[in-house]
Amino acid sequence: MIQLCSNDDPPVSFTVPRKAVELSKTIKTMLEDLEGFDMEQTPIPLPNVDAPTLELIVKWVEQHQDDPPPVEKPRVEDDDSDDSDADDDQEPEVVIPEWDKKFLPTDDEQKNQLFKLLNAANYLEIKPLLDIGCKYVADKISGQTVEWVRDYLNMENDYTPEEEAKLKEEIAWAEGL
Amino acid sequence: MSMAALKAENARLQAEIGRLGRALGDFNERIVCGRLAGDLPDNFLEQFSQLPDRPLEQVLRFLPARQVAQMRHVSRKFNHLITKCSKSMPKKKIQEEEKEEEDDEEEESRRRSSSVLFKSCNAGELTVEWLTDEGRKIAVMKLAGDEVALSELLRFIHIGGTMYFDDGVSAADKVLDQLSKSWLTVRPEMVVFSGYLSQTSRVSLRAFLKKVEPSVKKLHFENTRNMPDSLLSDNVIGAAGRLDGLLVMPACWGSEPHNFSIGDETLLAVADAKCQPLYCCLMGCSGITTGGIRAFIEKWMKKERQKADVGTFDFHTGLDLCRLVFYKCANVTPAAVEEACGDLLKKETIASAYSEDMNDRAFYFFQCNSSKRRLEIRFNTDSFRFYILDDPTDGH
Repeated sequence: MIQLCSNDDPPVSFTVPRKAVELSKTIKTMLEDLEGFDMEQTPIPLPNVDAPTLELIVKWVEQHQDDPPPVEKPRVEDDDSDDSDADDDQEPEVVIPEWDKKFLPTDDEQKNQLFKLLNAANYLEIKPLLDIGCKYVADKISGQTVEWVRDYLNMENDYTPEEEAKLKEEIAWAEGL
Repeated sequence: MSMAALKAENARLQAEIGRLGRALGDFNERIVCGRLAGDLPDNFLEQFSQLPDRPLEQVLRFLPARQVAQMRHVSRKFNHLITKCSKSMPKKKIQEEEKEEEDDEEEESRRRSSSVLFKSCNAGELTVEWLTDEGRKIAVMKLAGDEVALSELLRFIHIGGTMYFDDGVSAADKVLDQLSKSWLTVRPEMVVFSGYLSQTSRVSLRAFLKKVEPSVKKLHFENTRNMPDSLLSDNVIGAAGRLDGLLVMPACWGSEPHNFSIGDETLLAVADAKCQPLYCCLMGCSGITTGGIRAFIEKWMKKERQKADVGTFDFHTGLDLCRLVFYKCANVTPAAVEEACGDLLKKETIASAYSEDMNDRAFYFFQCNSSKRRLEIRFNTDSFRFYILDDPTDGH
């Protein structure tokens, strides 16, 4: 068993089976690098995950600890100097499993909790969790207006009116897509 | 155990604890800073209401292409992200809605890829049209001249099937250069240049052909206007790799006959086509020699018929047909071909009266009945018509 500590003061600690905790690539790598130390006795502090978020993470990894490992696909780095052709293959369809649908904090007032969860999944490199979370956000955004998306993602419109007008012209063709 | 031994053991354990502590510290730093350290806001420990780039990128990937394009409006950060990772963004395949036809062979439906047509009717304006094989328009996009618009469009769209550079200077350098950008997905099977090529340079044309080389099988320059002789050469066409169909037929009413420096190298590249060579129709290419033609015939004879080939089926003979047509190619006359390759070929005369010259009516053929293939060599302009791909929008 591995102990994980939240960033709260005082920290809240969770005890998780090693197999489950290794769904996080970040922690898995760390445990591998620290091979030889008795990690069962050493709580691992996670300075950027708060207790409610860590609780969700722990719940998720425990539920999914027996999942078959995801197929690793090399990430296409975005490099304009790269001569190779863009990858044609579309991402495989991500389907959110029933359990995860109930698990994800999907109420509107829990929106920020969802973002915190995705942040944590990103830092801890839990790709399947990140995928389903992002898929959920994408479904939510899909078909919505720019204003709605801006509000939903807590983003500021930082364009000047002139820039906005120019951009509008640039992407006018998208209407025809 | 002696006191000294205990002390030593204690010191060892202390050191171990120290080392472990430092190691954990390192890792914490790594976790905190992660790969996104540079992009994080100063107060990121308190503020998690915004998603960092990687999840956002992933979110974008799940959205339809049309919306991704519009999402550039959300904020500068978002715009930057979309532009930065457009390579991995979803690309829309513009094609006809597949009709539910159960008995349709899979191959049939795959071949029903759409054509994309570029037109530049007014200076500084480019129209891009997507068409079905029957010439029906699926989508039309007018781009307001500047190069940005085209490159923006291409970020989100997949190009396959036939690419047709139509009226005006639709294949001008600034268009070709946009298409040649490395991160764009442009994979046409056939490329047709038909329009004014006065604003097209060798460098841009070659770069473009190089770009489409992995997918392109047929290349046409048909009824092109203002095409300088220096535009085409073995080297330029060679950039398109091993084609199985090539047609060079500039429009040349009354003007000086063309003389492109296209020679046997190009001809033999067609003989080495990925599958069966289908046609090589050349006008005004003085580099072609009868020796090259003989080499082509010999290569062709050695080729085996491949089952998977989608050849040009000749209805008269029931054979797969490969045709070479030479017109106004200084070194290729029926008499010269007969002299060089007469032992390989049979001669016939076309009954039609369309040929301008009695001489042009002669044609040569070689028939390989066992492999169900036929090779023809012709010398009149009419024979080009078999392969001309008319403007897909004509008559619709």
